[in-house]
Amino acid sequence: MKDRKLEQLRERLGEVDDLNKAVTLLFWDQRVMMPPGGSAGRADAIATVSRLAQERFVAAEIGRLLDELRGLEASSDYDSFEASLIRVTRRDYEKAVRVPAELVGEIQRASVLGLSAWGPAKAGSDFELLRPHLEENLELRHRYVQCFDPPDETYDVLLDDFEPNMKTAEVSEIFEELKQQLLPLVEEIGEAGEVEDSFLTGPFDPATQRELSLEVLRRFGYSEDEWRLHQTPHPFMSSPGVGDIRLTSNFKPADLHSLFETMHEFGHGVYEWGIDRSLARTPLGTGVSLGLHESQSRTWENLIGRSRSFWRFFYPRVQAAFPDQLGSVDEEAFYRAVNRVHPSPIRIDADEVTYNMHIIIRFELEQELIDGRLAVKDLPEAWNARMDEYLGVEVPDDARGVLQDMHWAAGGLGYFPTYSLGNVMSVQIWKRAKEDLGDIDERFERGEFGELRDWLREHLYRMGRKFTPQETIERVTGSRIDAKPYVHYLREKLAPQPA
Amino acid sequence: MTLVAKESSPLERLKTILGEIADLRHAEAILDWDSRVSMPPAGAQARAEASATLTRLAHEQFVSDEVGELLDELSSVEEETGAALVRVTRREWERSRRVPTDLAGEMSHANGVAVAAWDEAKASSDFASFIPHLERQLELKHRYIECFPETETAYDVLLEDYEEGMTTDQVVDVFDRVKQELVPLIERHRERPVDDSVLRGPFPVGGQREAGRRVLQAFGYEDTTWRIDETPHPFASKPGVGDIRLTTHTNENDLSSLFSSMHEFGHGVYEFDIDNGFARTPLGRGTSSAIHESQSRTWENLVGRSPGFWRWFYPQLQTIFPEQLAGITEGSFVDAINAVRPGLIRGDADEVTYGLHIILRFELERELLAGTVAVRDLPEVWNTRMNEYLGVDVPDDARGVLQDMHWSVGLFGYFPTYQLGNVISVQIWERARAELGDLQDQFARGEFSSLREWLCEQIYRHGSTYPPRELLKRVTGSDLDPEPYLEYLRTKFA
Repeated sequence: MKDRKLEQLRERLGEVDDLNKAVTLLFWDQRVMMPPGGSAGRADAIATVSRLAQERFVAAEIGRLLDELRGLEASSDYDSFEASLIRVTRRDYEKAVRVPAELVGEIQRASVLGLSAWGPAKAGSDFELLRPHLEENLELRHRYVQCFDPPDETYDVLLDDFEPNMKTAEVSEIFEELKQQLLPLVEEIGEAGEVEDSFLTGPFDPATQRELSLEVLRRFGYSEDEWRLHQTPHPFMSSPGVGDIRLTSNFKPADLHSLFETMHEFGHGVYEWGIDRSLARTPLGTGVSLGLHESQSRTWENLIGRSRSFWRFFYPRVQAAFPDQLGSVDEEAFYRAVNRVHPSPIRIDADEVTYNMHIIIRFELEQELIDGRLAVKDLPEAWNARMDEYLGVEVPDDARGVLQDMHWAAGGLGYFPTYSLGNVMSVQIWKRAKEDLGDIDERFERGEFGELRDWLREHLYRMGRKFTPQETIERVTGSRIDAKPYVHYLREKLAPQPA
Repeated sequence: MTLVAKESSPLERLKTILGEIADLRHAEAILDWDSRVSMPPAGAQARAEASATLTRLAHEQFVSDEVGELLDELSSVEEETGAALVRVTRREWERSRRVPTDLAGEMSHANGVAVAAWDEAKASSDFASFIPHLERQLELKHRYIECFPETETAYDVLLEDYEEGMTTDQVVDVFDRVKQELVPLIERHRERPVDDSVLRGPFPVGGQREAGRRVLQAFGYEDTTWRIDETPHPFASKPGVGDIRLTTHTNENDLSSLFSSMHEFGHGVYEFDIDNGFARTPLGRGTSSAIHESQSRTWENLVGRSPGFWRWFYPQLQTIFPEQLAGITEGSFVDAINAVRPGLIRGDADEVTYGLHIILRFELERELLAGTVAVRDLPEVWNTRMNEYLGVDVPDDARGVLQDMHWSVGLFGYFPTYQLGNVISVQIWERARAELGDLQDQFARGEFSSLREWLCEQIYRHGSTYPPRELLKRVTGSDLDPEPYLEYLRTKFA
């Protein structure tokens, strides 16, 4: 029997979700389709729709329904749809009511304007163009933080939006372990000599790269009926509604990165795709945290997409597509080249090991910015110094330095650490999947990925946001977040073999 | 709940509320554009829900008592723009107040679902699968009409949505006059057909896109504020200021994409040139569907099928398609693109037969509403009448009753504005020629800016400041009049 109050709650949440999906599409459109002249109008539209969504979500009526539904929640099984919906909505509600709708609108407006300034700033390597937007975003973040009870660390508030319940101190501890384990590994690898990868500089025809991306995607589970693939300078995934998964990748002649970007975004997409459809139009119908989301993008990009077995299957296709560039390169040489560990300025092009140092730098700088220990105007200098210190990389210009990522332009402070948390969790989940599925490498070699996808859907994706990120990872793996399996994986895969 | 300080002026308060509604409409426009250009088909259901919610919220905010009170307070505003804003808003508010929010949401939801069904039905020429959707749309139209005071004919209510101040009787009068002239004119052309085999191609898609791009850029298209995409059914959309979106349909077997691009440009440039000071208010859009269509037809036909235009562009087209157009003179090419040839598809029709495609739809819409034609009998009636008016046999419903999207999204009463647009386009064109002198010389040099600037000054920049009939009178000195249009056709297609 359907509970009348619950239906009323669902009706209201459905409406809020519709508005949020409209905002999702407006952002997607801005990045993929909109002519630049439309920015100002788009900022107004996104600000208004976001504010209306916030106003409708924090309406007293939803608070009253949540109170009245305490009985149903208590009498329902913890795992049931009903109890989960009420529990998660209450958590979201209690957080959202603290934030004035006006501020939500302002944050979104600043995000649109920051994003539209980031493109030209990066193109012209002109930090000054973006600086006022970063300052505005930081100021808005401060106003946002003040909406909440004073936390242990200011950064906790930012982190909680992306990785609920995670504390800055926990992240610092995990990152400290990564730093201690990985910096020596980078050094060992460096000492073992350079891996040849000069054949990866192309030129590789972008249209052919797109075809190869689609070929891999179809093997992974992409269909024209539910998915799209577009080109943007900065790849991303967006799902503006159930049955509608959109990936972007950046096909450029100078390298084959687009293939890995596509597999990465597929990982985000397949997580959203795999969520139980009955959770649609509720707060449960999306991935539970950005860390877990990233665990899946990294699974499909790295654990699969940089594995020997994947390339056993796919290298002949790539070689045939680019005979001039790769005709004389054998599979082993190609495998080693795409797994080459080498410090470089760009995060999204980084190898599996040094990637985490890029994140740790951003995590540290974000904390310094929000704590007022670093001024926005000094950011490029601090960035460059830290890149030199941790990776020994000299940053050639701001476009390839502090301006390379759009996150801060869009106001997303607290987002970056979830990338490395995702790396860590990806291997925890991967190990568990392999225990259940046995020798999946042999299936990858044949281009079969359906079993793994189904396992991940069954054990992770379908849950959506029913449980907290901590409950979710424990349900999938039986343990808490733990960096050891990840460090072990990197060492086993990438440490130089004694001669 | 809106963020309006109580101490601000009533006009400022009204503008704040209208701005918020414009933002919701902006979002709706993107959801709609996206569903036709980018969305994977499985997203249709969720999209329909999201669109319905946005429509319902915009409707709720707009029909609030607060808007009515502000309009009352502002009823004596004298400053021209303020007065126009109040007039346009009041008219729309009074009409919208009559439509219950639930019905508005249902209509929007039905549109999302039916347009997807239409897409599939058209692809497989399967009218039967579309019947329930069309029946649902008609049922919703009846409920919509019932919200309004009784009019001479029920159809008046629908027409008023697109063409303020126009009645069904007036349209019947104009269309009767047009039909009376067109039928014998078409008959004469049937006896002496023009050879247009040169237009059968194949013209590779890439070349057509290049040609379209050059033409639009000469007209005033810029990458920073415009974009153009492919859809089966071309359209133009302005989600917001500085963001004009056209679509076209490129088919290797003809050059129709060029004309549909110019057509949609006409819609786009009207919206683009509206005074930015009207942004986020009801004044910031074209004043009526017929005036809008007069501009798309101006750029498609009066410019795009004129001898001057082709004096400029034909040599370029020949370099793009050297093999296909080898040995074809400019004169015979211009004759071919102006050939009068009864055909199946409205969107591909020549300037003369086009009117009859519209008259057919106008008649059927009224008969469907009156119940004298049942939805299930529609294909048969359609095919019979196509034969009667244009002498063509309709081979399948995809090229017959399913060819247009309009009915799937509940657009009844819209089609006549296309033909009214043709009529009005020539009225305005004659005025432009009287003031600007011979435009053909300028076109022959690839110059279109003096025409665009004149149209901007006379029509575009005003947005909805003047109701359509008043605007027409200001620009041309007369009311709706089919005679200049008929004279233009008689002269051009003698």
